[in-house]
Amino acid sequence: MRGHVAPMEAVSGDLVARPVTRRNAHVLTRFPVHEHSGAVWAAMWAAAAAAEFGALVPVIFAHGAPQKSYDIAFRLLGGSFAACGLIAWRRRPDSRSGALMVAAGAGFFVAPLFSQLDAPLAQTIAMLFTDVWTIPFIALLLTFLTGGRVQTTIDRVLVGVFVLALIVLQFIWLLFLDEEGNVLGVLPHDGIAHVLDRTQRVLTLGGCVATVVVIVARWRVASPPRRRALLPSVGGAVALALFGSLLANDLIGTGTRSELHLWLAITSVGLVPALFLAGLLRSRLARAGLTDLVRSLGGMRGADLEAALARALGDPALVVARVAPGGGYVDAGGAPVALPTAAGERRIVPVERDGQPIAALAYDASLDDDPALVEAVSAAAAIALENEQLQREADARLAELQASRERLVTAGDAERRRLERDLHDGAQQRLVALSMQLRFLQSRIREDPSTAEELADTASAELAESLQELRELARGIHPAVLDHGLETALESLVSRSPVAASLRFSATAALSPPVEIAAYFVVSEALTNVAKYAQARAAEVRVSDAGGRVVVQITDDGVGGAAPGSGSGLRGLADRVEALDGHLSVLSARGGGTTVTAELPCGS
Amino acid sequence: MRVVIADDSVLVREGIASLLTRSGIEVVAQASSPDELLALVEADQPDAAVIDIRMPPTHTDEGLKAAHEIRARYPDVAIMILSQYVEAGIATRLLAEVPERLGYLLKDRVTAPGEFVDALERVVEGGSALDPQIVSGLLGGGARKDGLERLTAREREVLELVAEGLTNQAIATRLDIALRSVEKHVSTIFTKLGLPDTGSEHRRVLAVLRFLRP
Repeated sequence: MRGHVAPMEAVSGDLVARPVTRRNAHVLTRFPVHEHSGAVWAAMWAAAAAAEFGALVPVIFAHGAPQKSYDIAFRLLGGSFAACGLIAWRRRPDSRSGALMVAAGAGFFVAPLFSQLDAPLAQTIAMLFTDVWTIPFIALLLTFLTGGRVQTTIDRVLVGVFVLALIVLQFIWLLFLDEEGNVLGVLPHDGIAHVLDRTQRVLTLGGCVATVVVIVARWRVASPPRRRALLPSVGGAVALALFGSLLANDLIGTGTRSELHLWLAITSVGLVPALFLAGLLRSRLARAGLTDLVRSLGGMRGADLEAALARALGDPALVVARVAPGGGYVDAGGAPVALPTAAGERRIVPVERDGQPIAALAYDASLDDDPALVEAVSAAAAIALENEQLQREADARLAELQASRERLVTAGDAERRRLERDLHDGAQQRLVALSMQLRFLQSRIREDPSTAEELADTASAELAESLQELRELARGIHPAVLDHGLETALESLVSRSPVAASLRFSATAALSPPVEIAAYFVVSEALTNVAKYAQARAAEVRVSDAGGRVVVQITDDGVGGAAPGSGSGLRGLADRVEALDGHLSVLSARGGGTTVTAELPCGS
Repeated sequence: MRVVIADDSVLVREGIASLLTRSGIEVVAQASSPDELLALVEADQPDAAVIDIRMPPTHTDEGLKAAHEIRARYPDVAIMILSQYVEAGIATRLLAEVPERLGYLLKDRVTAPGEFVDALERVVEGGSALDPQIVSGLLGGGARKDGLERLTAREREVLELVAEGLTNQAIATRLDIALRSVEKHVSTIFTKLGLPDTGSEHRRVLAVLRFLRP
């Protein structure tokens, strides 16, 4: 594993490569972000291209013997890591995976570039840093799920092992190495150099095996979206396994490396950028699938919606939590849902409508690798959830409308029944009696004029009573006095009130007839209630208007305690007012009087 | 006395006409619409017009509009508004707009020809006539104004009749007491209620109504 063949090989940063746009910026704002300017990116791309060209110079301008295929493959690794790393870095500035990939890429360039220089110092640098790429490569493989940050002890130990074996021991080994061009070889000693070399290989082999074990263990417990994120890591593990087998062969086998074996090991390092690109392609395909998602969202609700969103995100564990009217979250069926805490493996993104949160999506943290996908799916979710909520509101309104329409019809029927009974028991009865009296009077008028006169008097009184009753009835059916304006009509109402009442009428807008009738009946019913229940000394009726709405308010100083829903009278009034897109409220604290307020649009 | 009657119902019109005729009042013409009424007033120059408040075309307040028109063009013609219902709000508005020579009565008052003719004569002579139902409603309802409780029963009676538009003489006759007593009562009432005694009957009706209205 000396020379140009180093133990390990690299990986790709993130699954997705697409520049950060303003559109998906909101997902990214959840991470601290430092973005480089365009010039910095251009410089890094240029540097990577130049380095790759430099590394390939001996291949392109080869005069001597043909290059070994594994050597060519190794020279290509730097460019592929640097390119994928730059793409990943640009895409996810908050993640260090991209930077680690670029660092690994740079590491691959050290040996091919410095070994071309004749100077002994350059040769020494090439020897010292032959395997330096391994350090960021291992760190990269271990930290795909933690944004390129080495966080766990096991990760630190593993990276430490490779630093020890491939940098520290390499340096010491060079001190004892007797080789031309090795300016560090101040204490040439073949025996010590050999022992150090063996130690390095043992340590590196152990590191490879341990890293593979760790990656496999993480893979086994990962959720599907996390497995997708871990895929390049798995590619890296394959490469580590191949390098491990090379080392094992060095230590206990024949001691000679087969070219095929070397070629396989080096090429397998390329799995990391290859799988990274595959992930990129997958997320592009996933975004293409969004079109289908949006198209099918139209009629989708509840569990279907959740399933479709989960499919689009590739996260079966997706939780769609709707904001409950009373606070908290509920699922599609209305059962309470506890959102996972934002830290850890789940991320929470709020779904808003007009700035108001209507739901939250809890998705796998690894999906942050594709912020555009998350953004697009949550935008689609916003549309669907908004639809769902509007539909729910419409359903509730419809149900309320149906109920109030039913109550209006029922109230109308009851009112007609009452009118019929009043007519039947009152005026009609009197008129029948009257007609009989007139017949009787007719028979008496000649022979008994004084009785006839009495009868005529009674009949006249009956008639007057009947007329009075009919007047009351007529007023109940439609207050004709409204023909003279609401103010006049209310003045009459107030003057008839058994409890002393006053009127303050300051509305100036023209009111539509239905609104006038509703206002009249609100005042009429409220004053009747004041007389019946409030034990009030005084009542006041106020009518004012502002901004196209008229407010009718009846206040008394009585005992209060009226329940808004109680009594069909108030309920019926509320229906009447609401049917006109108005609102009726009753404020009635015990002992604090009662205020009935109706607010109506002036013209409806 | 010469009157024209306006009501869109032939039966009611004829009924009123026959009752008035029997009480010695000359019914010179009958109209079934506001336009016809205006033409007849123009042609016959009656002393009074008895007008149903509801007439075609909309059957709401055409009678009132016709009354305004008559008052504007022929101020000498007294106006008696009849209605199936009477409302305090309409009464105060009417009296504010057409203060003199105005009556506002329930239509069925016609069936008591004596009182109806009295009221008609009062209006023709320059006074007012307000339906007792309005007055008793204002006084007997809950809208009791401060001061009313200080009136004696007799003063209340007098106040009611004042509000109906009766002259002092008529009140004396109705209550069967001396004219001087009535004058004394009226002056006491106005003092107790803090009203200006205007002297003229129709003005004092309005003053009392304004006092009583909510």
